[in-house]
Amino acid sequence: MKIEYDKYSLIIDGKRTFIRSGAFHYFRSPGSELAQDRFRKLKACGYNTVDIYFYWQYHSDKRGECDFSGIKDVRKVLQAAKDCGLFVIARPGPFINAEVSAGGFPLWFFEDKTIIPRNRVGTEYQYSPKYMELIKEWYDTIIPIINEFDNIILFQIENEYATDEMDEEYMKELYEMARERGVKCPIFHNDAFFAGLWADVVDIYALDLYPYINPKQNWKKDHFCFDTLDNVEDIFRCANPNTPPFVAEMQAGWFDKWDGLGYDHIREALGDEHINIMTKTALSQGVTMFNHYMAVGGTSWGNIASDEVYTSYEFTAPINEYGSFNPNFYKVKEINSFLKSFGLTQTEPVDFDFYEENIYAKIRKDLENDCEWLFIRNLNEEEKTVELPFNKTVVIQPYDMKICAKDLKLYATEIEFSDIEIFCRLRNETEETFFLISDKNANLYTKDGKRISGDKKDFDNIVFEKGGKITRFVFITRNSAKRAWFFDDKIIFDADLAYPDGTIGLSSSSEVGYYDLKYGFSKRSFLVQIENKPIVLTNPKVRFCANEIDLDFDYSKWKSVTKNFDAASCRAFDEFIWYKGKLPKTIKEITLSARHLFAIYINGKEVLSRNSYKIEQLKQVPETLQVHLDENLLTKEENELTILVQNLGFDKGFSGDTNQPRGLVTFETIPDMPVELFVSQKLSLEKGIKEESNSPYLVNAHFEFDIDFRPDEIFGKYLYLKEFPYRRATIFLNGHKIGRFIKRTSVQDKFYLINTFLEPHNSIDIVIWQRHKNILSSWDFKTEIKNVIIEIGNDNYFKLLH
Amino acid sequence: MPIVPEFLIKRIYQKGSLKNEAGKITLMLKNVLGPGFISGFDFIRINDSIYGADKVKFITQGKEFNAKDITERTPIAFRLGQEGKIILDGIEGLIEGLNKITIEAFNPEAGRVSINIQDNFAA
Repeated sequence: MKIEYDKYSLIIDGKRTFIRSGAFHYFRSPGSELAQDRFRKLKACGYNTVDIYFYWQYHSDKRGECDFSGIKDVRKVLQAAKDCGLFVIARPGPFINAEVSAGGFPLWFFEDKTIIPRNRVGTEYQYSPKYMELIKEWYDTIIPIINEFDNIILFQIENEYATDEMDEEYMKELYEMARERGVKCPIFHNDAFFAGLWADVVDIYALDLYPYINPKQNWKKDHFCFDTLDNVEDIFRCANPNTPPFVAEMQAGWFDKWDGLGYDHIREALGDEHINIMTKTALSQGVTMFNHYMAVGGTSWGNIASDEVYTSYEFTAPINEYGSFNPNFYKVKEINSFLKSFGLTQTEPVDFDFYEENIYAKIRKDLENDCEWLFIRNLNEEEKTVELPFNKTVVIQPYDMKICAKDLKLYATEIEFSDIEIFCRLRNETEETFFLISDKNANLYTKDGKRISGDKKDFDNIVFEKGGKITRFVFITRNSAKRAWFFDDKIIFDADLAYPDGTIGLSSSSEVGYYDLKYGFSKRSFLVQIENKPIVLTNPKVRFCANEIDLDFDYSKWKSVTKNFDAASCRAFDEFIWYKGKLPKTIKEITLSARHLFAIYINGKEVLSRNSYKIEQLKQVPETLQVHLDENLLTKEENELTILVQNLGFDKGFSGDTNQPRGLVTFETIPDMPVELFVSQKLSLEKGIKEESNSPYLVNAHFEFDIDFRPDEIFGKYLYLKEFPYRRATIFLNGHKIGRFIKRTSVQDKFYLINTFLEPHNSIDIVIWQRHKNILSSWDFKTEIKNVIIEIGNDNYFKLLH
Repeated sequence: MPIVPEFLIKRIYQKGSLKNEAGKITLMLKNVLGPGFISGFDFIRINDSIYGADKVKFITQGKEFNAKDITERTPIAFRLGQEGKIILDGIEGLIEGLNKITIEAFNPEAGRVSINIQDNFAA
């Protein structure tokens, strides 16, 4: 595939191509079947490209080793993208951010303190030859795999990189490394600061745009947040006047944090209006390449998450974590259908003298379609009637944005101006059908003086004939547009989902409509019955599972450490890290800090449990605690100390450094004396310890349930911890860690049961980390948990029909 | 630690704007980075003299704010291209020639933002 570009657009095999990309994380939607499902939905939404980060840590537990087997097989992911007809934007980092632990770096990096990740300490540039050697190893591994595929159209180096010095050495080396390893397509970098960074190092300058990064912000009120977007064409032209405007990450949602407001809040705040404004404003600024970040939500299962985010990485993306659709999906589908019809790959701004408060309006000359497009946006809180300088009026709803055709020549008529938006166009050599979105306030004016009102019902139509050619306008309501699926030569109506091969997805019986230019309209009825009642999980097998706290527990084979107890120094990179040791009676106090949650047990009894993880002003608050000890706690000459630390992930590395310590960060005693601690990691469930513990602090509640897999059904299920009373829990599905629950934060009580991990017969283990004041035996706990409702719910269920 | 590297943050300060206006130090900011909010000023330092928020005023878009009244709960919008004038209560620390200036402010997303610049002052 030959990839060229000019100042307007990418040119693929000689054809100008608008890049409609969506970001997808294969590691958060593990397995090629799940990837294929999401890719088919991206394609159905009108995207032609998928953006893929390659996550080094996910594949590499040990230097020199990378695992691309099973669910980590990226070849299968890339093949699935190719099979779905999607181009790929490859982003192998080495740093990727993506709210993943350590920004994607393998954790074995941190064992060698002389490696400087990203050649950066804070924001100061410090070149690290050792780090550069490691990148070569990663690039030697990942680039040959990427190169096996001919649908790769763009390649990114680094991610949102900047230093105080802006020394180009590192970025230039990355560029050269990629080229030396056979990368043929254009190379770019995503500038997070829209300051023209690295424009001279890469082939195509690109930037990221996130006007809404604070969920407490009301973008409808503070709509100056679009200031950068509204001027982005100038930024592109200043950075590089000869490359196409490329928004490498265009906000399509936002991630929530442990102390956040929850995804329901973000979804409601952004609605479908924000992505409409983002995308259409970008088009009005001449952007011909965008990548919606994220287009597909995912799950930070296992140890994927950075400490900032919880398990769900739903992102309020058009395709949600479970594989169904958020409201913005339908808006993107509408915009993509329009773009598939008209391209908009070669446009120039037109001088347009217009000002009205909170109304944004731009006109672009379309050199390919030989017409103009008016982009008009209303950020007032009320409907506005806008008088345009060319004697036309547009009525526009609050927070809406429209693309209006101007001087558009058709086969049998010519549009002088229309603020009835075009959903899509089907065309052959003699006929063209425009599907227009009904709007009672909008009108279409033809050059010969006709006015066509947009106040129409579904499938009302008007036909023009001239010189043996036909132009047909067919109206559909916006609700019908949501269930309409446009593919190059056909459109399918009244389906919950449709794929380019004609397969449809229905959640209930429906009369599905079809239209193409050859056969016109047709209908077909489908009877669909789906049983998808929630399953209530009952009668768990319960056992105490903190054997490590037990007084007779043998830890002599654990790793002995006398200083530097943090995770990297101890090479203990799992979420749960155990420390054990002896404390003499003479100790009066211990002082410690740990990341992130921890508890201290002395002689098998809990003396402290902390939810210490919190963020204030986006910064972790360091917590150093003093624990006073007396004869009531230290009852023996030699007392057994156990500390359990839960590491919620390493820093993602955007503003902080990825190698900040985790686990037991500091540990001192008063009086000061040397302490030997023995270190191990993982929960007993993960270690395969099945014996009952004497300690009531961690409890494993084990449930089982069955799923009736049926062919041609797709679904997304979740575990619902409704009003779950316990403080902390870790959830396993068939042995895969699929969720972290922390009650204090109240951000997540539904956990995606990742389809890839589901079997006909399944086990759920919920390891609850909770102090039980009144519970003395696992039987007591079993009695208590019976009153807790734990459900398997359904987010979506589609029957696929051919 | 700032999210934005220092060389970019410095662009906010308008070089040559350091002045003595009727016994008060003034300096100008212009947001050339991107739309956002100021959620507080901690202090402004001119060489070795520190002006706490109670001795700082900020004028933007015709409105005057006492810096101590700008908080996370009452942030002020600072749009792309918007200018703002900082007025310090006094001229302590100001010297002829090159002055070291530190502006410690807060942004809801970035937390503490430190702007370290140098500028000439001619009496």
